[in-house]
Amino acid sequence: MGTLGRAIYTVGNWIRGTGQALDRVGSLLQGSHRLEEHLSRHRTLMSVFDKSPLVDKDAFVAPSASVIGDVQIGKGSSIWYGCVLRGDVNNISVGSGTNIQDNSLVHVAKTNLAGKELPTTIGDYVTIGHSAVIHGCTVEDEAFVGMGATLLDGVVVEKHAMVAAGSLVRENTRIPSGEVWGGNPAKFMRKLTDEEMAYISKSAENYINLAHIHAAENSKSFEEIEVERALRKKYARKDEDYDSMLGIVRETPAELILPDNVLPEKTTTRVPTTHY
Amino acid sequence: MATSLARISRRCLTPSLSSNLIRRHFAAEAVAVATTTEAPKPKSEVTPSADRAKWDYRGQRQIIPLGQWLPKVAVDAYVAPNVVLAGQVTVWDGSSVWNGAVLRGDLDKITLGFCSNVQERCVVHAAWSSPTGLPAETLIDRYVTVGAYSLLRSCTIEPECIIGQHSILMEGSLVETRSILEAGSVVPPGRRIPSGELWGGNPARFIRTLTNEETLEIPKLAVAINHLSGDYFSEFLPYSTVYREVEKFKKSLGIAV
Repeated sequence: MGTLGRAIYTVGNWIRGTGQALDRVGSLLQGSHRLEEHLSRHRTLMSVFDKSPLVDKDAFVAPSASVIGDVQIGKGSSIWYGCVLRGDVNNISVGSGTNIQDNSLVHVAKTNLAGKELPTTIGDYVTIGHSAVIHGCTVEDEAFVGMGATLLDGVVVEKHAMVAAGSLVRENTRIPSGEVWGGNPAKFMRKLTDEEMAYISKSAENYINLAHIHAAENSKSFEEIEVERALRKKYARKDEDYDSMLGIVRETPAELILPDNVLPEKTTTRVPTTHY
Repeated sequence: MATSLARISRRCLTPSLSSNLIRRHFAAEAVAVATTTEAPKPKSEVTPSADRAKWDYRGQRQIIPLGQWLPKVAVDAYVAPNVVLAGQVTVWDGSSVWNGAVLRGDLDKITLGFCSNVQERCVVHAAWSSPTGLPAETLIDRYVTVGAYSLLRSCTIEPECIIGQHSILMEGSLVETRSILEAGSVVPPGRRIPSGELWGGNPARFIRTLTNEETLEIPKLAVAINHLSGDYFSEFLPYSTVYREVEKFKKSLGIAV
């Protein structure tokens, strides 16, 4: 049966060769419009001349994020997908345990209209929501910037303060501790309860755990990805309820189990709303 | 010509031994000055890892499985190459996810219904729990157009809606069928946009009811974007041919292919 196996292998090779030839013919037909795929040149950590980012080994930086220039990221922080932290004209420092969520932009101003130098400082355990725009601001520890918020030059968000979603905080506004500011232009809305302040720190911790999972997943090698894909395919058809009805207990393979500390414990207390 | 000139100038300008010593002396002096005048800052130590990848030639993976959850994309749905789908995301038939969007279903489910579209740079996320107490999954039903740069978090969008560009829908909000949200609107948590109405603003307020003609246009917009996404879909081959560039790259570096 060796010769049969060999024959099938050769036929398979012919078919693949034919396929590649057909691909070349098709490209010829497409002419100059044809699609030429290139490797991704996107640089996650990029230096601008002599300013290079300093990222802690425990921090998660998503591959599609861009950390450029003079940026310092502390332990346990996470920079999520699509963020841009551009420390090209000045310095950005992100503390530990902070999360800068997807598609946000952190930029700095060398001098603005008033002529001040504005590095951006983001403290520890800060949560910066999706698509926020932070330009030359100081955000102190355990603050919460809502999603879609725009913070202009010189804004200071104090400890335990909250910027509501979608707000536009004008230049040099100071958001005092324990208050929620929102709207366009941002005005004082209400004070934060102690429960909500505790929630801010808890959410930052939850994000640290979540970041570990994403970091592990994004740094997998090709072989690992393929192995897990095969495992997942195998376990896709197995339904837990059906199995338990039959009295079978199947074990999901270890690679496919998420650590417990990501999903929240089932609590009966209502989680406080993040804004309003 | 230019390269030889550069080479000559580089050789001439490289410092001699003495100027090296002078430079080192100045550097030491500068450091001494800096340390004495700098106020003690309680800065945490950043310990970088030596083998953190600064650049991965693979780029960002489009589909990121987390544990057992694998994002599922329908065969005729167009998902742009720089979109990130992570966790429990299902993109149903005829729908499209445009460039730069991030659909992060790591805490709860995200569903994008039939013939819907999530336009450029949106972020769709699902929180752990919603203030309404209902399941915190993000459900975008059929024929929904989510405009560019929107942020959706744990919301439910019923069939045939239009969400304007740069709008923000917070946890637990519900947009009922055939309603339109104006661009830039912010829907606070747990709010409901009633059926057949036009809302907008920050926070979203009632503007007017929609006429029948406008209501009929809503699914037409979704279908039009579906046709557009067909063009984009046909631009891509079923399997990437980047391996050829990798082989060229490796050959140029002398690595065995």
